[in-house]
Amino acid sequence: MDNAIRQGIAVYLRAAGIEAGYGYFAPNVPDNYKIVFELRYADGRTEYELPRVGGAATGLRLSSLLDRIAEENYEPLRATFVKMLAYSIWQDHQDAIGIRAVVGYVHLPAPEEFECGQKESYHALFAYDFDFSKASH
Amino acid sequence: MLSLHTTLISRKQVTSPMMRLRKLRRKVQRFLFPSEVDHWLTVLRIGLALQILLYCLSLRRDWIQLFASGAHGLIRRDLAEAILSAETVFTPRLGWVVALGNHLGLNEYSILWFAWWCLVCAALCLFAGVLCRSAAVLAWFLHLCTTDSASLFSYGVDNFTSIGLFYLMLAPLPDRWSLDAQIRHLPPKDQRLQGFHRRILQMHMCLIYFFGGIAKSVGVGWWNGTSLWRALTRPPLNVISPDFLIDAKNILPVLGILVCLAETGYPFFIWPTKSRPVWFAFIIGMHVIIGITMGMYLFALIMVVLNTAAFGPGLIGERRLLLKSRLST
Repeated sequence: MDNAIRQGIAVYLRAAGIEAGYGYFAPNVPDNYKIVFELRYADGRTEYELPRVGGAATGLRLSSLLDRIAEENYEPLRATFVKMLAYSIWQDHQDAIGIRAVVGYVHLPAPEEFECGQKESYHALFAYDFDFSKASH
Repeated sequence: MLSLHTTLISRKQVTSPMMRLRKLRRKVQRFLFPSEVDHWLTVLRIGLALQILLYCLSLRRDWIQLFASGAHGLIRRDLAEAILSAETVFTPRLGWVVALGNHLGLNEYSILWFAWWCLVCAALCLFAGVLCRSAAVLAWFLHLCTTDSASLFSYGVDNFTSIGLFYLMLAPLPDRWSLDAQIRHLPPKDQRLQGFHRRILQMHMCLIYFFGGIAKSVGVGWWNGTSLWRALTRPPLNVISPDFLIDAKNILPVLGILVCLAETGYPFFIWPTKSRPVWFAFIIGMHVIIGITMGMYLFALIMVVLNTAAFGPGLIGERRLLLKSRLST
């Protein structure tokens, strides 16, 4: 009964679009996350790739996904997200034998730091290695 | 004589709170069920139709990548739906539509494009006001399916579109400017019902801004301009060059405080007739600027639509329109 009520409330909240709070960019604007893929080939070459999408609207959504990945506390789920993204990259580079995915955050300089010439800097948070040697041709 | 006096006093004591309760009830009734013409509903219907149309067009090139469950997706749809199922199994999702299509012998690719076309058709019907109720329900259902199935990719715009579509679906459709009403010569819907639906939307907007404003006010960054700087330089929202922003760094704290003030003050200044036009212009201006300077066009549009539907029609002489409408009926 308790579960039925909880399910009912959850359905209503989702249906009405009110399951999330309204604190966008509050209390402060969060860090910006980034994922970089290092593709390794059998001949020793390495290439770097970023997730690619077709339009700017999806770019905004990709940013939400990266926030979600970086803030996910359940490690196996985070690894699964990253693996799926790595697989989508590998599909465009099927001769790559391995992909290292590095999730990190971009530190944006404050106005004063920017005036002093400081640029944005990338800091790695997690790295995952995926082996595609058996799948590559 | 004494006993009569006592009886009168006690009656007065009993009736006075009752009268006050009745007065309060009448006040609440007048607040919740004001007489309204349906212009707000026309704004909501056409605005949401444009929103859905732009949503579909902006995601057209990535539609399969976002919603496919197989090898074509960025994050497989079935994983997002499994996460959703942990919360509730009854929320609409694209998996249901795909399962139904598979049952009819269609493949996932065709079904996803069919859903895209259905959403576009529902938006076009809403825009013209043809089969308003069915189109509103279809648009709400398919939009909810897509946002729930790609919840990992969703952000504020999806919530606000869902809110708008939910109200539209339940609202007293069709409005007088819809083709449904024009062709079938339908009489306007009950004005108190119109008023009630609009009032709920108005109160919801007040809650959204108030809590959004309070949450921002807690952060130091909105008072010293850092949050605005970060929001405007954060990829992919960095439409404006930081070199240009740095020249305007002294006004960033003022703008940050104005954002907090606009949002927190919304429920207090949007109701009084005198301050309403100013606050309305303030909020609409804020969203238009967000849209232009951060590239969040869809977010700006949905906020402009919801605000205009909730508080816009009153700005252009609602009383005159109401009187005219009463005279005509």
